[in-house]
Order: sequence, then structure tokens, then C-alpha cells
Amino acid sequence: MRPALEATGLGVRYRRTWALRDCSLSVPAGRVAALVGPNGAGKTTLMHAAVGLLRPTLGSVRVAGEAAFVAQDKPLYESFTVAEMLAFGRRMNTRWDDAADRLAGLGIPLKQKVSGLSGGQQAQVALTLALACRPDLLVLDEPLANLDPVARHDVMRSIMAEVAGRELTVLLSSHVVSDLEETCDWLVVLNGGRLQVSGDIEDLLDGHLVLTGPEGASAAGTQVVGASRVGRQVSMLVRGAPPLDPRWQARRPGLEELVMGYLRSPESAALPGLTGVGA
Amino acid sequence: MIWVTWRQHRAQILVTAAFLVLLGMLLLGSAVEASRYVAEHAPPGCPGVAVACGDLAVALGQRYEAVYSIFGWMPLVAPALIGAFWGAPLLGREYERGTHRLAWTQSVPVGRWLAVKLSLLGGAVVAGGLLLSLMVSLWRPVFRTGADSTFGNIGVFNMVGVGPAAWWLYAFALGTAAGTLFRRTLPAMALVVAGVAVSMFTLFQLSDYYAEPARTELSGTVLPADPDARLVSAAWVEPSGREVAEPADSGCPRRVDVGQSSKNAEAWQACLFGKGYRYAVYYHPPSRFWRFQWTDGGILALASAALVGLAVHRTLRRPG
Repeated sequence: MRPALEATGLGVRYRRTWALRDCSLSVPAGRVAALVGPNGAGKTTLMHAAVGLLRPTLGSVRVAGEAAFVAQDKPLYESFTVAEMLAFGRRMNTRWDDAADRLAGLGIPLKQKVSGLSGGQQAQVALTLALACRPDLLVLDEPLANLDPVARHDVMRSIMAEVAGRELTVLLSSHVVSDLEETCDWLVVLNGGRLQVSGDIEDLLDGHLVLTGPEGASAAGTQVVGASRVGRQVSMLVRGAPPLDPRWQARRPGLEELVMGYLRSPESAALPGLTGVGA
Repeated sequence: MIWVTWRQHRAQILVTAAFLVLLGMLLLGSAVEASRYVAEHAPPGCPGVAVACGDLAVALGQRYEAVYSIFGWMPLVAPALIGAFWGAPLLGREYERGTHRLAWTQSVPVGRWLAVKLSLLGGAVVAGGLLLSLMVSLWRPVFRTGADSTFGNIGVFNMVGVGPAAWWLYAFALGTAAGTLFRRTLPAMALVVAGVAVSMFTLFQLSDYYAEPARTELSGTVLPADPDARLVSAAWVEPSGREVAEPADSGCPRRVDVGQSSKNAEAWQACLFGKGYRYAVYYHPPSRFWRFQWTDGGILALASAALVGLAVHRTLRRPG
């Protein structure tokens, strides 16, 4: 199947600094992909390149079909009413579903000015605009930032309802991994402008182990992603089969542990084609 | 896209339209009232250049001082406002609020978004400028028949013909380009105000070179016959026929004037004329009105095209 999003050797440079370099990844259609990384990792840059807001310095990025984008801070025209925002979407897009019902269902009055809406309501309006043009790929930059816990939950539920309803691929970024744990099935980790991880979350978790054991235990036979020390205890994230040394206790990592393991060791990578881990 | 343009810019469009309507009413009212006044008070043959019309011109000037002072400021203020409120926010505000990332990620490509907005708003600005020029051209003759100043007075010159349309368009383009430069509205507005003032001064200086100045030699006076001419330069012509900037060894005593008096300078000039000196003036006669209008208009149109090109280039190169 054709990937919904494909980047090949993608590099983006702002003046002298590379915001993104040599990034090759593909997200299969129908996935909900989490784009994770610390601030300044290049998440927004990757998204802007994907939706055409900037031209890559090197390489290319391709979207199969139409992409819709909700930028960070969910920009809307504050002087518009909600109904006018919908009229804006209808006139600016070739494909358009009337979305008034969706907003009415969420209890957002159409005659209200955008500036008078709560942060959660604004997020819902922005999301509704993006969904109403029936995109094949929905790109959301930090959709949950600046939202209270209830609004976070509502927005996430809205996204999941859309994904379940039709063939839609979602790429959403966050620097809070726990937000994504239940909803995403694909993981992309960016760090310092480089791609570290891209793959199916279940496959990634199955392919890694967290080992805990005494200092000096042999980890021969495994690929160490990263290690940390607490007193005499060593804890490390490894890839592949468990080691032979019986002093190690092995268990399956959580998503957050996996992400943190990679982010702490920028030189490690788990990419399809490079290591064979993942899709 | 047309609806989007209207919805986003209707405040500017409506305020400008209201301003033009108000100004039209003011001009019409003052013109009607003034012609009634003229009909009642004017001696035969007035208004005109005749001496008998002097009292009438002064009386009209006093009656309409307020209208005149609005009129005096408008050549500079109107384009500055157009640039600040039509041009600067067009892209500056989108960048400032981050809404460019909303506007330019819809199906309508950025290029078309720019093309529609620039042509609709640019067209409206040009239409507004032409309307202003028309109103002023209809209004002025009521006050000044015979003694025209549409060419010699740069303020009036920029309010008639294609002047307002060209200046408004230029200010709009400058504001748009400034918006992409700063990606903020307020600094772009400031740049427009400064830019329009500097451009107006520069173009006025430059206008001396739009044509080869006419030359005429005066004797007995240093003022050209036509008060509406634009003086470029002047020189003294010695009795031998040689042109000099300052007459040397003329034998005429030259004393410095004090305050606003020009008595000593006039005495010196009279002495020079008495000794056979003549005064050569280089000037542009008012018959060059349209040539100068189109030259100004052409320069401003080209500059506007360049500024719009810069704005489009900067926007398309990195829309995010």
C-alpha cells in the first residue's frame, strides 16, 4: 500500500542551521502517528514541509492525496464568528462537508465570535475546519498544548472518532508522550533535527527490552540503546534478544521508557531499512 | 476568495468609502456655498487674476480655511493612511497572528490567495484615488478660475490627475512589502508613513529632470510671468551675454536684509537691471502638467510593481 506520508532525504535549513537533516520516513495509510521529540527537535519543521508551508532545502516530502493542517496555537480569525469561519473553509476548499452539525453537537454556538470561545472550543473549531475538507492526511501540530485535561480528552476523542469513521491518516506532534500512549499506533522520534525512530509502536515495544541488573553483568549479545545507573543497579534499554547473563531481569518497555531511552542516546536509531526493527 | 477578501478587509473598505463620501459632501457643500457667495459678492470678471478679484480671493480663503487646511494635509496623509491600514496588515497581520498557516494550507494555493487579494484591494485603492482626484478637479475651479496652481503647487499637483491613484497604489504596495519584511503590523505601518514622506520628497526633487527646463530671460523682475510654473534654477546674464551664478564687480551695493524685509535685495536687483543685467530662469511651464503627471504615475506604478513582486517573492519562498 502507498504510504500516506513519505519523506526522502529531507533536509531543511534556516539560514545557517539545519532544522532537519537527512530525514527519510514513511507513514502507512490509516495510521495515527505520534511525532515526538524535545523542543527544537524539528517536529514543526517536518510538519510545515509536509503541508507545503516551506520548501525543503534537500530531498523531498510527499503526501498521498490532500493534507489538512492545524498549526500550533490553532490559529483562527478572531474577529470572525464561528459561522464565518466555516464559510471561510467552504470558500477556500474544493472538497467540503458542512460541519455546522458537528460544532452544534459540541455545543459551540455558530453566532459566537471566535475570540469569545474557550481554548478548548477554539481547538474544536480549528479541528472541525481541518476535518471538513475531508483530508487523506491530517497534520496536527501540538493539538493538545494549552488545553485543560477535559478539553485534551475531548479533542483526542474527536480525532479518534474521525479515524475510526474513515480512511484517515493522522500525524500529530507532542512533547508529552503520555498524551499519545492510548491513541497512536505509529511512532516517529525526532531529536536535534535527526530522525531516531520510525515504526509501528507494537513492533517497537516487542523488539525492545528493559534490563535491570547489578553493575558488571554482561550484556553481550544485545544492542544497547541506552543505559542509566541508580546506585549499583544498572537499567538499560536494549534491542533484540535478551542476554545470556542470568543476573538480568528483562521486561517489555512502556512507550515513554522507549522514547526516553532514545532521546537520551541521540546516536542510537531504530529505523526500518537501517536496523530492521519496526514495520 | 472574493468573499474572504471582503470579510477580512471590509473595515478598511467601508471606512475609506465613508471618508470619500464625507469629503465629497464637504467639497460639494463648500462649492455650492462658495458659488452662491461669489455670485453675490464678486465684481464682474471674477474670480480671476484681475486686481479687482483680490478681495474676493482673500474673503474665500478666510471662509474656507478649514477646508483648505484639510486639503493641504491630504496629499501626504491620505496615502500614508492607505498604506498603513490597507497595505501593512494584509500580510503583516496574518504573520503576526499566525493565521497565514491557516490561510495557506487550504486548497486555494498561496499564489492565488495573493493574486486575488492584491488585485481586488489594489484595484479598490486605485478606484478610490481616481474618485478623489475627480472630486478635487470638479471642486477647485469654483475657487480658482484663471489663476491655476495645479502644476506649480506640489500638494495640489498630487491631488489631481492620476496623482492620488498612483500614490495610493504605491503606499498600498509599500505597506504590503513592509508586512512581509517585518511580519508585524505596527513596524510595517511606521515604515509606510516614513516611506511615503521620503518618496514624496524624493520624487519632487526628481521631477526637475522630467524634461529639459524652458529658459527665459527677464528684465526688470525676477518672477516668471506664469505663477504656476515650476522654477528649476536661475542665473544672472551679464551685459556681455555671459551667464553667471552671482554677478561680480557689478558695482551695485548689496546689503543684507533684516527680518522679513526684502527691500535691500530688491534695490540690488533694480540696480543690476539698470546696468543691463538680465535674469535667466529655467522652469517647467504648466503646459507640461500631463507629462509630469504620467511620469510621476509611471515611476510610482513601476515602484509598486517592484514592491508587490518583492512581497510575492518573499511570501512564496517561505510561506510558513
